[in-house]
Parts: sequence; structure tokens; C-alpha cells
Amino acid sequence: MLAVLFLGASAWAAPAPSEFQKHAALFMQKCSKCHSIGGGQRVGPDLAGVAGRHDKEWIVGFMMDPDSYLQKDAAAKKLLEENHGVRMENTHLTRAEAEGLLEFLKAASGAPPSARREEAVPADEPLFMKVRMPDEGRGVSMPGLALLLLICGATAFAWQSGSRAGAGLLLVAVLATAYWTFGGRRYYQLLGSQQGYQPVQPIAYSHALHAGKLGISCFYCHSSAERSDSAGVPALNVCMNCHIAVRSRAGQKEPSPEIARLVAAWESRGKPSSKSIEWTRIHHLPAYVHFSHRAHIANNIQCQECHGPVQTMERMRQASSLSMGWCISCHREPPQSAPTHWRRALGPLDCAACHW
Amino acid sequence: MTEEERLKFEEQDKADGLTRGDFLKALGASFAALAASGCGLRPPKEKIIPLIDQPEGAVPGVSRWYASTCGGCEASCGVIVKSRDGRPIKMEGNPDHPLTRGGLCARGQATVLDLYDNQRLKQPMEGSAPASWKAVDDAVVKGLDSAARKGKAIRIVSRSLPSPSLNAALAKFLKKYPTAKHVVYDPISSSAILEAHRSTHGRAVVPHYRVERARAIVSFDADFLGSWISPVEFTKSWAANRKPGEIMSWHAQFEPRMSVTGANADLRVPLRPSEELAAAVALGKLIAGKVSWTGPLPDAPPSTVDKALLLETAERLLGSRKRSLVISGSSDVAVQVVVNWINEMLGNYGETIDIAHPSMQKQGPAGALDGLIAELERGEVGALIVLEANPAQDQPRGKEFAAAMGKAALTVALAQRRDETAALARIVCATPHALESWGDAEPVSGVVSLFQPLLSPLFDTRPALESLLAWAGQPGSAYDFVKEHWRTDVFPRQKEVHAFTAFWDEALRRGAVSIAAAAAPAAAFQTGELARLKSARRSTGDGFEFVPYPSVALGDGRQANNPWLQELPDPVSKVSWGNVASFAQADAQRLGISEGSMVKLSAGGKSLELPAYVQPGQAAGVVAVALGYGRAEAGPVAANFPTVKLLPIDREDGGGADAYPLAGSAWVAVAAAGGSVVLAKTQIFDSQTVPFTDQKRELLKETTLPEYLKDSRETDAAKEAADENGLWPRHQYPGHKWGMAINLTSCTGCSSCVIACQAENNIPVVGKAEVRKGREMHWIRIDRYVDESKAAVGADVAFQPMLCQHCDNAPCETVCPVLATLHSNEGLNMQVYNRCVGTRYCANNCPYKVRRFNWFDYAHQDELQNMALNPDVTVRTRGVMEKCTFCTQRIYSAKFGADAEKRALKDGELVPACAQSCPADAIVFGDLNDPESRVAKLAKENHSYRVLAEIGVGPSVFYQPKVRNRRA
Repeated sequence: MLAVLFLGASAWAAPAPSEFQKHAALFMQKCSKCHSIGGGQRVGPDLAGVAGRHDKEWIVGFMMDPDSYLQKDAAAKKLLEENHGVRMENTHLTRAEAEGLLEFLKAASGAPPSARREEAVPADEPLFMKVRMPDEGRGVSMPGLALLLLICGATAFAWQSGSRAGAGLLLVAVLATAYWTFGGRRYYQLLGSQQGYQPVQPIAYSHALHAGKLGISCFYCHSSAERSDSAGVPALNVCMNCHIAVRSRAGQKEPSPEIARLVAAWESRGKPSSKSIEWTRIHHLPAYVHFSHRAHIANNIQCQECHGPVQTMERMRQASSLSMGWCISCHREPPQSAPTHWRRALGPLDCAACHW
Repeated sequence: MTEEERLKFEEQDKADGLTRGDFLKALGASFAALAASGCGLRPPKEKIIPLIDQPEGAVPGVSRWYASTCGGCEASCGVIVKSRDGRPIKMEGNPDHPLTRGGLCARGQATVLDLYDNQRLKQPMEGSAPASWKAVDDAVVKGLDSAARKGKAIRIVSRSLPSPSLNAALAKFLKKYPTAKHVVYDPISSSAILEAHRSTHGRAVVPHYRVERARAIVSFDADFLGSWISPVEFTKSWAANRKPGEIMSWHAQFEPRMSVTGANADLRVPLRPSEELAAAVALGKLIAGKVSWTGPLPDAPPSTVDKALLLETAERLLGSRKRSLVISGSSDVAVQVVVNWINEMLGNYGETIDIAHPSMQKQGPAGALDGLIAELERGEVGALIVLEANPAQDQPRGKEFAAAMGKAALTVALAQRRDETAALARIVCATPHALESWGDAEPVSGVVSLFQPLLSPLFDTRPALESLLAWAGQPGSAYDFVKEHWRTDVFPRQKEVHAFTAFWDEALRRGAVSIAAAAAPAAAFQTGELARLKSARRSTGDGFEFVPYPSVALGDGRQANNPWLQELPDPVSKVSWGNVASFAQADAQRLGISEGSMVKLSAGGKSLELPAYVQPGQAAGVVAVALGYGRAEAGPVAANFPTVKLLPIDREDGGGADAYPLAGSAWVAVAAAGGSVVLAKTQIFDSQTVPFTDQKRELLKETTLPEYLKDSRETDAAKEAADENGLWPRHQYPGHKWGMAINLTSCTGCSSCVIACQAENNIPVVGKAEVRKGREMHWIRIDRYVDESKAAVGADVAFQPMLCQHCDNAPCETVCPVLATLHSNEGLNMQVYNRCVGTRYCANNCPYKVRRFNWFDYAHQDELQNMALNPDVTVRTRGVMEKCTFCTQRIYSAKFGADAEKRALKDGELVPACAQSCPADAIVFGDLNDPESRVAKLAKENHSYRVLAEIGVGPSVFYQPKVRNRRA
């Protein structure tokens, strides 16, 4: 949604693109992981209308050096309390950048709501749009195939042994099973595909809560996705940015046992017995294939296009087949449901683009 | 999700949790069983374990580069080390280093594999039993104290130590023990240069040779492009002046064997070592006549070298006074004195020869160990400490040293591996690899660089510096000591930076600092020695003159257990996995031997047996043998084990013979030992002439400078015409079109690119038996051709890096039955491993023979070595074809980076591993579609040609011909 808002805002501010867009990009890069503009409270407060809440010098100063403000300034301390003690990290902004960002925030929060919500999704839809996976509904059901072969054998046996009626009956079963095997049913797999794989993880981490309900940007935790081929699983210190203060579920008094496991692993750091969380890997690419997250993100591919509606998943699962046909179908043409503002180059079709 | 839901999920998982292995079994059993199981196709249970506290700036999957110093040899070149998720995986030359300016030799690049060698010492040892550091320290200090009390000598033996901090720590140690003395020796010694400068300039130094300033270079057996003192720096400097059309230096080489330096010379004269003095004196006299030399003239017998060649040499040198350089690798002080004299007459001191800021890379005086061995034998030494050296092996009197070691009450070896010396020491202190410890180096006075650790030590090791400090009674960490030494000694030597923190941080970031060292006043040339010149070499003897030399692949042999280096073929002989005794053609005929015949070399009661090799261009009456091979205690690789143990391959004959025992003999007797072996050569032909037809294919074009300067467009037109006559429609390259330009004039054949490619692309080592079958896997190889028609004397040898030419009409693509090799729209010839079924049609159809087939699974049996693998490149399995990809992973990485920054790729941003490593900057890579790119300009250059372009395959690699600075 943030992306939608931001792009809506940039469309509205078309007359002065360069300065505005530069700072919009900076906002996306440095602030959007915790803040929204008019999208409500995230990890940090909603920044819509922030220019009216404090004076300019205070805001710019705070943006540049949050650490000393949070230590000394009363207003900053109050904000810290309101935000569950989650400290703003120092993003190392220069004065010019901070002032430009403030101007951007003013402009973006002053945008007419209609312009901002131009491409917003209907209210009854989940926060992110559901993108239909290109491979969904294609493939051969393995159990179906096995059963089909079995019944075929039985039919032949019945025919041989002279039971014409039995053979006729079995033939109907063959046709029904074939329908089921080769496309009649909606959910089944390509051979060797792990689509739908949903292992139990050592901590019952909920993407639905963090990415969906709390609206934390994917890149807050998977920050290397923008910079590295690998999206990475966040180091525990990233989790502890919030969970240093948050120890129980919303509305509950007693500490959550899931968070307790995280905290235990965190507190073992530096000790000889230290043990991190051992997540079970879900997405496996076949051998000889290279996939780069940063290349796809640089081309505006949304995480959900491959990973599915992560923000609705209680337990993470593999939403796509990750087969080559599935990759190529998107490299040939983007999914039809992709919004028009996802302007991007078509993916390369060379073998060497992925196989090296 | 509630706890209850969670349990339900877990149960369900257990119920249908079939592993992949189970699945295969089930598949084997029956389909029905599979259907009943509910078809559980489950991926392998792989874990993702994040860091608990990720350091700032570390991003999983993103490589970081750190500047450091190469620990491969005393040349101490500047490196940048690629660290991927905490593991150093590649060494590259540091472009910011004041001496080496980017580029790194094969041995330096291979040091990263040494780091992951399981043969390294894993903890301190007492005898052959593991011990604790405390026990070791107690024993050493007790032994030292006892020696000091009894007034017995304490001796520390090391190779040259260019490290200021280590020397400072050593000074502390020597201060504590008054009977202690430091003995420096060099396996490949430059002691004659030290001695000669002592007599001519009053200072026993090896000067810093400023090759980049020299317009005329004359070398008497100094292999400065291959292995002499600091080859990377010299190659960089030499190549900068080898640009026909702009600047072209002149280079003459007088040498007994064919070295890479000689192969690249404009004039090469085969000369026996004992004839060098006469030739140098004759040259000196010719120059003395022209410069009105008034001092004494040295006396020598008349030279055997053709007078005309000497005249030309003198003339070229006189034409570039103050911009010429005469050097010699001779161990004969008389030759070095004459060389100094010639340089003095030409005014080279203070210009191309910097004696005020000397080199620290070779400090070992002549006969350094003779005195020590005598002391040991007399029982005068109470404690012997060998500091990261191997005197029991890498010097001529190794056996005597080994025998005498036992006479000392305490013998301590500080070593990375259990080498010949450490095996005999009572106490062995395991030292870390250069990539695991702090340190510094000052290879040339005024250039100081830092070693910084890239990972915490893999084993229980301790830097030599810390050991010395501990024994000196001032224990401390290497980091603190190095930093403190820099604060007190290095920082005050410069004036530009005022805060030490800033100075230190900048030094750490750049890897090295250049400080204006206080120059000692230049001493005047003393002529005294000239008149009483006396050669140390006998000019006549029985048998052959013996020339032991450090090879390009192994150097002095300290990295003998490195499989990359063992398999790296010698650029000149193309022999890998072992050394050979090379002979001139005439001598081989006389002895009735041919390539592979076993010969026995003997002198002074020592002997060794080696296969013979016939080397065109070698001086008659000389036998040359590479050092560093045949080591007894270097490890299984040096002993040449079959690489793939499970295969029915017998243990191969050993990895060469150790030539050090004979290295002190000037003359050896040679006899055929009977029998012969097949050498593991990677190129079995020398000439470019096609067999049977006698037609010459000009694969490697060679020309002279005057010819080159005469502009001709013929070749260009011919190659275009061949392109037009294609059978297939031409490919379209709408975006980029990757191409490469290789300058054969710059290329010295040093083979640094071969190892760079091997490290970058996870290229396996196949072993001696497989190399013999022509199954080596190098994606880039150095072809060398011998031409005996053009050279003034002997033969011309020239080198040509050969890699996949990424042809536009690639013959390999059309024959693949499974479309595993295809053309990309950026001009890359792609190899898709998962499609390949191993028909090898493509390799048969490749005119360049650059495709390599995986005959076996060459995965490392030593899992520690897997840590050196580059995670960006697939490890190929058995049965697939592979070849150069133009470093696709680097192309895509650069593209993704540019994409993320929303900009176009810049020319020069994309550097394949071979081009990066090249100390001569011979390889340029880029986009041929961008007319402004360097590679496009080079491709359009008149003289550029493509190998076998006439057969119409349209290669994308452009070669610039080998130009020799010869008159006509």
C-alpha cells in the first residue's frame, strides 16, 4: 500500500519532478520501513502532517541525530514512550537531505486524498492485491497419475478376464481420474515442485501479523533483498529493534512464549553456547540456477508476485512453483493483473541470465 | 496461531513428512505405494541460520573487499581480498598500492587456497604430540633461559623479513637474550647484488629498480617478469613502456635457460652462466669507450657473444642514458660489480636505480647459513628458532642443516605447516595464514603496507610476532603491537597527516602508505673492485653447467602443497605436476635423450633423477631445473596423489625432484638413467605449422616495430570478408555485445590469469594422470609458440592467452543435440549445465579447443577447501561441458548494480577475473556496441586480428599482435 501511496503522491507532484522524486526515493529508502504518510501508525508514527506538529528546526535536527534527541529532548522522549520504546535508528542524513525530506513530507501529506488513493485497492480486499500465479492450475497431479495407471491396469485385467461390464465401469473411472489428473482439479503440483510447502518453523512467526496487520515493510526485515542477490533472513538484532520492548501479544499481559524463544537466542549472543534461530528453508531453486532479489526489486517487481500474499500468511509457505516455465512466463510478459504503474523492462530470456 | 493450531500443524507435517530419499525408494517400490503415501514431495530439510548480531554494513550474499598485503612471498604486493559472508575467497591486486598498482601473480592468488589447506598445523606441538600454548611457552622460555645461562648461542633463522613490526618484536627478543643473533637467508638469494653494492657503493643493499623509467633494459639472467625479486611490480612497469606506436622500450636478455622474461625480450642471447662475466665486461668496455670512462677497466677473457649483438646492445643503452637499466640475477659478485659499473657509466643511479630507498625483499647475505651450520655442528648453539622458514629443505645444504639441528638443546619452528624443518623441531608453534593475522610490510623503503585479518584463525594458531613478544617477556596482541609500532615509528616518518587515527584508518583502507623516507646520501661509485675482478664461477668443468631456478608456478617451493599451482603448467615448457631437466637441442642429441627420458644429475655426491625436456633457445652446455618441486614433507598434493581417490588410478610417479641439494653446484654430471616417462604437458606442439600440409596458420601474429608502424589495412578487410560469408543468419545484438581485446605485446605469459580464473570460476584440479590425457580444466590457458626462424640467436617464444572466443557463428552451438550451448543476445556463447548431456560434440567442433569436459565429479574430498569456492558460480558435476563464460556472474552483478542505481553500465566497470589479475594490463573487456568503449576502439585498431577469423566463426576476442622492438 505504501508503494501505491507513494506513487500516487509522485503522480500528483508531477510539475517539480526532480527534487521531489529524489526525496521521495530517499523516503522510500530510509524512512518507509517504519513510517507511512497518511497510512497510519507503523513501527513509527504516521508522518502525514508532521510539519504542523513540531517546528522545522526540531524535526530536521531530530532526523539528523535521533540519538542525542532521544537522550535529552523532552518531546522526543515523549514520542519514544508513545511508540513502545522503539528508538528511531540513525539514518545518517545530511542537513540538505533532511530539509528536502521535510519538504517532501509536507507536499506528500498535503496531497488531496483522492490523488493519493488513486490506485488504492478496494477496502474489502486484503492490503496487498492477490496476484494469480502463472502456474496455478497447471500441471499433473502425481497421485492422480498413479491412480490412473492403476485403474488402467485393472480395466485391462477386467477386459482380459471377460468381465465386459466391469471393464466398462472401470473405463468410466479411468476417464474421471484422467480429468482429475490433467486439469480438472484446481490444486495440484508440477512434478518436483514444492509449491505449497509450509513447514513448521522454530518460532511461530506470523507474516500476517507483522506484514499485514502492522504493515511493516518487507524491507525492514529482509533489508538485503534490495542490495544482495539473497533476500536473507533478518539477523536477530533486527527483530530485537522492536522486541527489546515488545514481549507479549497485543492485549495480553503475560509474555509470549514465541517471543521468549527469540529473546533467549538473542541473549545467548557472544557466549560459547550461543545459538541462533534455525529456520527451515522453504524456497529451493533447482541446481545451476541463480536468482537475484536486488535485480527484481530494482525493476519494481513486488515481493508478492513471487511470494504470494505473504501479508495474509500465518505460516509462511511457498506460493509459486519456482519452475522455469513460471519464471519465463513473467520474463516474456508481466502478469496481466500487474498494475500499469509497475513499469519495468521485460526480463532477459538468455539462458545465461540465470544459468551460470 | 494458537499453540493448539501449532501442534496440529506439526502433527500433520510428521504424518506426511516423506524425505526425498524415501520418495525415491518409494518410486522404486511401486506407484501404488506412492499413491497411498499421499504423494509427499518434500524438499531437503535445509536450515537458514541468521546471525544473532549482524555487524553494521555486512549484507548476506554481498562480497566485501578489504585491502591487505600478499603473504605469498617477500615481494609483499598489495592485494584486495574478496570476503563473502566472512570467508575470504579471492585475492586481487590492489590498484591503490604504490608499487604493484593492481595485478597479482599466480602464486599470490593461490595463497587463498593455502588458507583452507587441511595440511596446515592445527595447534602447537611438542615433538609429535599436540600441546597447549602455555606448555609450549614454558618449554621455550626454559630452554632459552638455560641457553642464556650457559652462555650458549641462541639463533633465530628466517628468510628476509620486510615487516617493520616483526623486526621490532625481534629486536625486543634479541635485547632480552644477549647471546641471540638473527640469521637471514633467502632460498632464492640476491646476495651477489648486496655484495656488489657493498663494494661499489659502500652499502649492502638491493636497490629499488625503477623499471617504469627504463627505456632500454638489459638483463643478464634476471627473470624479472617471472620470479626475480618483485615480478608483479616489474611486469606492471615493464608493460607500461611496451606500447608500440606510443612508447616502446627495448629489452635484451642474456640468459642460459628460456625464461618468460627472455621469451618477451627484443633481443635474446643464450649464454652460459660462466660466460656472463665476459659478456658483461665486453659490453661495459664498449660503453666505456663512448662515455670517456677514465677509471680502471675490468679484465676478462674475450666474450663468446657475437660482437654485432653486443654493439647493438651498447648502442641502445647509450641512446637512453639515465633511462636505461642493466640488471643481473647472477650469483656471481663479479658480474654484479660489472653491471653496477655499466649502470654508473650510463648515469642510471638515482634515475632508474634507487639506492637511497632500497628494496627490503632480499636481505640474506651470501653463505648466511654456512656459519650457523658450523656453529650447530660444534654444539655452540643452545637454542635454535626457525621463524617461518624451511632451511632444512630450501637451500643447498638442507640435509646438513637438518642433521645439525639435533645438536641444539632446544629447536623451535614457527611454521604454518609441518614442513621439512618443522618435522625435525622439538617444539612447533603453529602460525596463522597471512589472511588470519595482523602484520605489516615495507617491501621497498618508504612504502609500508598492512596485513589485516579477514577471518578469525581457523586453527589454534598464534602469529610469530606474538610468540616472539611472549618469549621476550612482553606478551601482547599482534594488532596492538603493529598499531603501536605504526604510532611510534611509521607515523612520525611522514608529515602530511597530523592525526594518527586518520593516518591509520587511511592506511587500513588503502592497504599501503607511501612515506617520503629520509634518503641516505648517495655514495659515490667506488672503482676499486673493478680492477681486481674475480669470477666465482669456473668456466670449464665436467658435464653441464647447472642452472637451478624458481619456476613461475611454484617459486621457491613454499606453496608446494597448493594444487592450483602444481597443476599450473610452466609457461615455457607447458609441463605441470613436476619439474624437468631441460637441455638444449644439441646437447639432447649428443646425449641421445629426448623429451621424457630419465636423466641423472649428480655433483658432490648428491644426485637427482628427472625426466628430460628439450628446450629450444636454451644455451648449449646448460641443464636447467626448477626448484620447489619434489618436496618430501610438503603434503599429499606435492607428493602428487591421485586427485580422485575413488577412481582406479594408480599413484602417479612423484611430483618432480628436489633440486635444492644440487643448487650450490655450478657444474653437474649428466647421465641417462634409463627409462622414460610421459610428461604432463598441456600443449604438445610448438609451432603454428599444421602437420602434414606444412601450411602455417598465423594464430599468434608477431611483427617488428618498423613493420608495425607501417600502416596496413589488409588483415582488417580479410577478416570482414570472412564474416560476411556466413552460412547462418547473423545474430542481432540490440543492447550490449561483449568482447575482449588481448594485447600480446604486453602479455608476458606469467599465467596469473589462469589462476585468477580458477579461483573465480571454481575450476577443479584434475591431477597428473588426467592432465596427461589432455583433460585439464583451465578455462583460460596460455598457448606458447616457438619460432626458430626470426630470432637473431636461438628461438623466439611467444605467448597467447586462449579462452572461449564467444564466436558469433559458434561451431559448438550448431552441433549440440540438446541445445545446451546457445547464443545470447549480448554475444555470449552460453553453456547451460543442466541441459548438457555430455555428448562432447561441441568440444570436437570447437576450433580453439577451449571447451572442457567434466570426466569425473571433481568436488573436493577435503571439505575445508570447499570454503574457497565462489558461491556465485555453480560447481559443475560429472558429465557436463564447461568453458569460459566471460565471467557472466560479474557481468550480471554489475548490471544489477547499475539497475539498482538507475544508470547505464560504465565502460571499465565490468572486469573479468583474468583482466583484473593481469599485471601487464594486457586484457581489456567491454561492450563492442559502445563505440566509446576501450575494447571497441582496440577492436577497430588496424592491427587487431581475431584468431581463425578466416574460417568465418566470428570470434569476439581481438588480439593485438606481438611486437618486438627490432630493426626490420
